[in-house]
Amino acid sequence: MDVVQYIENFLQSFAAGILTGVIYGLMCVGLTVIFGVMRVINFAQGEFMMLGMYFTYFMFSWLGGYPFFDGLYFPFVLALLAGPVLFGVGNLVHRGLLQKVTGQNASRLEGGGHYAQLVLTFGLALVLQNGGLWLFGSTLVSVPSELSYSAWEMGPLYQDRIIIFINQNQSIAALLALAVVLVFARYMARSRLGKSLRAAADNPEAAVYMGIDVSRAHRIAFGFGVGITAIGGGLLASNAPFQPYIGTDYVIIMYAGVVMGGLGSIRGAFLGGLSIGILQQVSASFLPNQLQNTMIFTCFLLTILLRPQGLFGLRERVA
Amino acid sequence: MLKLTNLYACYGAVDVLKDVSIEVNEGEFVAIVGPNGAGKTTLFKAISGLVTPSRGNVYFAEHNLLKVSPHQRAHLGIAHVPEGRQVFPSLTILENLALGASTASGQRDWNDNLEKIFSWFPVLKIRQHQRAGSLSGGEQQMLAIGRGIAASPRLLLLDEPSMGLSPLIADEISERLVEIHRSSKLSVLLVEQRVAEALHYANRGYVLETGRVVLSGSQASLQQDDRIRQVYLGM
Repeated sequence: MDVVQYIENFLQSFAAGILTGVIYGLMCVGLTVIFGVMRVINFAQGEFMMLGMYFTYFMFSWLGGYPFFDGLYFPFVLALLAGPVLFGVGNLVHRGLLQKVTGQNASRLEGGGHYAQLVLTFGLALVLQNGGLWLFGSTLVSVPSELSYSAWEMGPLYQDRIIIFINQNQSIAALLALAVVLVFARYMARSRLGKSLRAAADNPEAAVYMGIDVSRAHRIAFGFGVGITAIGGGLLASNAPFQPYIGTDYVIIMYAGVVMGGLGSIRGAFLGGLSIGILQQVSASFLPNQLQNTMIFTCFLLTILLRPQGLFGLRERVA
Repeated sequence: MLKLTNLYACYGAVDVLKDVSIEVNEGEFVAIVGPNGAGKTTLFKAISGLVTPSRGNVYFAEHNLLKVSPHQRAHLGIAHVPEGRQVFPSLTILENLALGASTASGQRDWNDNLEKIFSWFPVLKIRQHQRAGSLSGGEQQMLAIGRGIAASPRLLLLDEPSMGLSPLIADEISERLVEIHRSSKLSVLLVEQRVAEALHYANRGYVLETGRVVLSGSQASLQQDDRIRQVYLGM
């Protein structure tokens, strides 16, 4: 292979990395909202992503055949719809389970409630995985999308020797993910509710003095976090086949992204997820497939070693 | 307006408040003084609901506060300016003030209140778009007080507004507090370790030691009390 071909490979995988990275970024934003506001490490985040994927899959299988629902863009609508649906699910999970070990109830528990939170979210992950296996089965599924087979061509560049293909399905998914992140970040920055969530994150005690119902703020933050990650799942559902255990693969990526970007900030989480996507795809072009995650975690460890506050981390929390 | 009767509170097995009865009437400026660890902050947290008393009652106007959830108490008209200021560091000054104005009355009076807050503490106006975390200690205290006033409260709870500040800044803030009290007619309950100053500004005072009210009375009677003069005023 000559140099030009190397460059073509690199650009090709870099483009693919941006497209997947934006969706990882979206999922990382979901995780970081929960951590930022509630200070809870949610191990079940990957499973909520999985639920977003299955929501999109089942709704598509159920409605996809009917006229009006058979458009090329219907899977994207469903993925976006997974957001509000999983927001509701997250709300209920907080009300029924998490509330007992977080917020004001946490101070009464050993270790400030952190042990209980870890066990609870880990247990929730197991229940959702196995419940998913029982309900959805272990067969690999995916949302069929004709757009996955079409690409835009960039180029030819450099004496007609370089052409980059941009997958249409992934591009639309990435644009939607970016839009969701921007709208959400703006909402958190500007809206009254966003400000009260940030206040509850900054100082829950003072937030109570302001008349903010911190428990409600946590419930909303958990709903947002779960819903946003579920949208990411829905957008990935036509990318590659999945099964109920897929969450475990992604939760690691999400945590690496969030920590790499800088804990608790929306911008940091998004950029962290984006970096991971790019690293993953670019390393795939010159490393064997099995070593992709090794590359991610080598860079992750280097970041922790050299810049513990994260690549884009501020000293203070934003989410 | 605020009435605590025979209040007890404990952390684990340790009683922090023992049989405390305190009253604040409409428009009064009342000071609670006493040494470190006397239970002053716990007393405030019991009023705001972050500490649940083991016995006794807390009334605010016609409400039995123990039946009101903590965050609702702000909406009844209690503004708590906490110990150590506790502003929201990642939010701007204006956003901090807006959060103070979460109550219905705060929303209604937002423009008037903002004008007043900025006239009392001009530095907040100049820095209104900066993050609160970038302010100095004195400025953060001003913001914390402003945030309390932005709620248009009926009762302002001030927990050691002079803590960690230079005497000069502390004096400036005290003077502002007196001005605020005089011009807005709201009731003020102040906790202070600077006993001389606190008794100078307040209409009435209570002395809290190891969780008990050991002395109470009008400004004049406390300032003339021999024990107070010896122990707290160094005379």
